[in-house]
Amino acid sequence: MYTLSSPTTLKILEAKIVSQGHLYCSNSVKSVQFLPNTDATAARSGRRENLLIYGGSSGGVAAPERKPMSVAHMASSNVDETDDRVSRISSTIRVIPDFPKPGILFQDITTLLLDPKAFKDTIDLFVERYRDKNINVVAGIEARGFIFGPPIALAIGAKFVPMRKPKKLPGEVISEEYSLEYGTDTMEMHVGAVQPGERAVVVDDLIATGGTLNAAIRLLERVGVQVVECACVIELPELKGRDRLGNKPLFVLVSST
Amino acid sequence: MMLAAENGLRGDPRLKGISEAIRVVPNFPKPGIMFQDITALVSNHKVFKDTVDLFVDRYRDMGISVVAGVEARGFIFAPSIALGIGAKFIPLRKPGKLPGEVISEAYELEYGNDCLEMHVGAVEQGDRALVIDDLVATGGTLSAAISLLERVGAEVIECACVIGLPEVEGRRRLDGKPLYILVGPRQYNSII
Repeated sequence: MYTLSSPTTLKILEAKIVSQGHLYCSNSVKSVQFLPNTDATAARSGRRENLLIYGGSSGGVAAPERKPMSVAHMASSNVDETDDRVSRISSTIRVIPDFPKPGILFQDITTLLLDPKAFKDTIDLFVERYRDKNINVVAGIEARGFIFGPPIALAIGAKFVPMRKPKKLPGEVISEEYSLEYGTDTMEMHVGAVQPGERAVVVDDLIATGGTLNAAIRLLERVGVQVVECACVIELPELKGRDRLGNKPLFVLVSST
Repeated sequence: MMLAAENGLRGDPRLKGISEAIRVVPNFPKPGIMFQDITALVSNHKVFKDTVDLFVDRYRDMGISVVAGVEARGFIFAPSIALGIGAKFIPLRKPGKLPGEVISEAYELEYGNDCLEMHVGAVEQGDRALVIDDLVATGGTLSAAISLLERVGAEVIECACVIGLPEVEGRRRLDGKPLYILVGPRQYNSII
């Protein structure tokens, strides 16, 4: 019988819309390119909602002290529904210590994929956010971005564009090099996959340092695509991936410290 | 090998659109290979949706509990099928990618061997499984996938691919499991 490592008890709040500056309390909130908040209360008050998910499970090793981030209450009739969905999603993520190397706590989404409701809810949360935003392109980063990107693309009427490691795409490609902890890697996209002026969302399972997402943004922008937002299931905020995205908004469901 | 057109979908206009959305890239990854590229297919929303719908329509009432997708292009199709029929999605991956405890199955390439891995505990005894990939050529990868699933007690009901190459030998190569294919290979037209 398959068992997950038991999650620590978590206080799950609301869905998190992460945008530049919100999580660093010492900074003033910067104005960002951001999708309009559909919550009528927020619109009337003129205040940007700042919601939080406090999620991710830890297992195996002594969990570092968790640092909850500031939260504003969202006055919406949908908050409970979102609450339940996100807490379930968060509880299905398995943490594998010391993978791929000692000291790393790997956030494993394969266990999320084994829970059809959690997987459906994950996709639904992204689809609800993007369906009325005229998104033409969902770009998914190999390989785990291929799991989440296509269902989102299909549901919102967008094309799916795979962003791949070198020499995987058979046709003519454009390439973008990006730095790793040691050395560099390259990401490729097919020439002609996207058109100038198209609006895109970039999808991956997780953002860590932001290197791969940033490479994907650059590839798309080089050919005239407007990258509206990056979307990930999980964020590791301590690795400051959001900073690496520059002025690009980031939407995540679960933040794991 | 069951071609969809011979299996109740003859004349289905969706199949024509799917076939025409495949791009042939000659001499990739090496001279003499006419590569069947599905990126143009998934870039066409209607055709991509039709592709997934065809599989979902076939499998939704077959009590399938697991959809296994082969890295990486199988990941583009399998999760949507899993979501459409309410099944678990299981990624079958190259070595070293899955973080937890795995079981491995080696299979032959034209030159040398490769290996497919699956997480221990992902599949339970009695699970009814599909294996999905974008294309089947020799069937070696699908055969390894079938082995992995059967080793942990799942029953592989069928393997399904968008494209099937003529060299697939059918049942012998796929351990007696049915193979369902939407379309044959697109021919390369150098005039285009």
